[in-house]
Amino acid sequence: MRDRLFITTMLLPTVVLLLLFYGYPIFDNLHMSFTDLSLLGMRKGGNWIGLANYRELFRSGDFGHILFNTFVWLTATSVVLRLLIGLGMALLLNTRALKLLRLAAVSRFALLIPWATPPIVAVVIWRFLLERNGAVNHALIALGIVDHPIAFLADMRTVWPSLVVIMLWNTVPLIALSLLSSLQTVPDEYYEAAELDGATHWQKFRFVTLPFLMPSILVLGLMSVFWSFNNFVYVWLATGAGPGTYTNVLATEVYIKAFVDFRLGYSSAIGMVMAVIMAVFGIVYLRLVARQQLEEAL
Amino acid sequence: MLRLLAAGFIASAAMIGAIGIAAADPVTITFRFNDTEQEVRGAIDEFQRENPDIKVDLQRIGWKDARNQFLREAAVGQGPDVMHSAQVWVKEMGKAGAALPIDQFLKKDPPPNGFGDFISQDLARGNDGHIYGLPWTTDTWAMVYRTDLLKQAGIDKLPTTWDELRADSAAVYKKTGKAGFGFPAGSSASGAIWFLANFYWWSHGAALIVQKPDGSYGIGVTPDQVAASMKYFKQYMDGGDNPQSNLAASDAHDPSIMQALVTGNQAMGAMPPNTYKEIIKAYEGANPGKPVPFESGPFPHPDHTKSSMIGGRMLVINANTKHPDQAWKFVKFMASEQVFAKYYRTQFPAQKSLLKKIDFGAPLKGFAEQFEYARTWGPYADGPVPIGTMWNLTGRAFGKALSGQTSPEQAAKDLLSEIEKQMASKG
Repeated sequence: MRDRLFITTMLLPTVVLLLLFYGYPIFDNLHMSFTDLSLLGMRKGGNWIGLANYRELFRSGDFGHILFNTFVWLTATSVVLRLLIGLGMALLLNTRALKLLRLAAVSRFALLIPWATPPIVAVVIWRFLLERNGAVNHALIALGIVDHPIAFLADMRTVWPSLVVIMLWNTVPLIALSLLSSLQTVPDEYYEAAELDGATHWQKFRFVTLPFLMPSILVLGLMSVFWSFNNFVYVWLATGAGPGTYTNVLATEVYIKAFVDFRLGYSSAIGMVMAVIMAVFGIVYLRLVARQQLEEAL
Repeated sequence: MLRLLAAGFIASAAMIGAIGIAAADPVTITFRFNDTEQEVRGAIDEFQRENPDIKVDLQRIGWKDARNQFLREAAVGQGPDVMHSAQVWVKEMGKAGAALPIDQFLKKDPPPNGFGDFISQDLARGNDGHIYGLPWTTDTWAMVYRTDLLKQAGIDKLPTTWDELRADSAAVYKKTGKAGFGFPAGSSASGAIWFLANFYWWSHGAALIVQKPDGSYGIGVTPDQVAASMKYFKQYMDGGDNPQSNLAASDAHDPSIMQALVTGNQAMGAMPPNTYKEIIKAYEGANPGKPVPFESGPFPHPDHTKSSMIGGRMLVINANTKHPDQAWKFVKFMASEQVFAKYYRTQFPAQKSLLKKIDFGAPLKGFAEQFEYARTWGPYADGPVPIGTMWNLTGRAFGKALSGQTSPEQAAKDLLSEIEKQMASKG
């Protein structure tokens, strides 16, 4: 009993600090979401309007489109591709051929460059590459693949794939390097045993490598979901949510409503909806990963 | 003896104080400017030479973020002392408590010809009667043409109707392979399509916001008229004479558009005079000694309707400034004749007395002509919905229509219903 009291007393300051640090902004945002607060009226504050912002949001004709963009393009597509390409790169970097050619260290270093590039710089570089007179169009025309330059970031047919490419370029290296470090923990004896059993390359990957990588893939996958779902930078800097509002996602909608339309109350409501969705992801993460880690630690 | 000592102490203390005051650092004020530094650098240096007790820190920010950034900062007691603002933003900045009323300064220390000499006074005055900004520059938008490309396309006179403009743009593209009328079609918060849309509506006798006979405000354009304007500008995108990539360009001074005009890859553009002057300068720099192949002309104005706006910029003093007197001194200096005569030559002054002295010169003839067919924002600025809000909504609606995300009819309907909703909520 005394131990419990001691532990509680010691933890209390941290818990109070965390509650103030995280709890206050959340409750303030929740309160704002029930008001009509405008950026033009911050000095006098907003009026209480109950659930009106939430009703407007769920009835908005654009909401479905924004949710689709956020879930399908920004999150699902980018996360799945990030994991697949990251896994492929990790396997490639772990091959004996690369080591024999003494290219392993160089490749790893090269992979670090895009990862170390700040997203804003990555977007600016890619905007130059993808513009009408950019290197990508020059290459495509020179190779005879297209006759006229493609407006990659302005054409509805190409804008989302282009955005996904920019995101992948900047974020795949982290996944690849993380999976590579997991790959290097697989004991060679397992592969030797599999070979003795006559396993093919695919079978060795399926029954030896993959089970070892699954915990890392799970953690990286869930973390990627968090990073992607909330991400604002890539879409806003590359397309400004355009053309029109074609690439608008929840994070950019929060910004547009708050700082372009000045509707802070409405923007807070979108933020709360995002927080609820993230909380669901958080519960999944806790159930699948954190609890397991806690049990292992105990 | 004690008295002598005390007197000595007092005298010493007074001397130390005096030395302290004399050695005090100059007051530093921050001026946030939204165009290029070289346009105002000379004027700021001159001001500092004339006022060694005031130091001016120049901050630069793009027009795209200027309004929102200042409002965000002012709401929490921050921001630059003096801000470069579009004329149409000033009322809402006053209403938000972000701009300092300057009535007292205008009374105590007015500009040489008084406030009455300034144009756009209606946009500087808030609904509470206070004056929140000093009109600084004025301009209007006009069309700019590369005459060499027009000639190659067999066009020997500038278009005077919207249909002619469309036909000439298509002809340039067809006959030369170069872009015709390359306008920024993007949907960002300060998108230029807002201007083109309004010019089109005004020249067709409509307006987004009108004042009714009873003094209230309403929408003065029908969904069909809005859809027609969207379809008109969409033709340029669909025809290819405005490159699809311009859906990602929002400003008249977007580098890709300016570059295309300078290098002869685009025949027509729409812009304010300072952008046009930059283009001419860049052309002259790249082609020394060659005659300038540019001509300006007014937007189509059938039946002498208005087809552009009398716009411009104001200087606003932040309501949170700790140095209002120094800020006013700076604002007054920047609006003086010597600044426009010696340094700030890319813009026209917003004072009638100074404007009369300007020689527009041949390349700017079209802008001078356009002034006759230009109007103020009037009811837009006085109505219940801030111009900035309508600007953003219009940009997004046009972006949706021009990119093909939604039909022009749907985009037009959505735009007007959103503005109606905003009008209703703001009474």
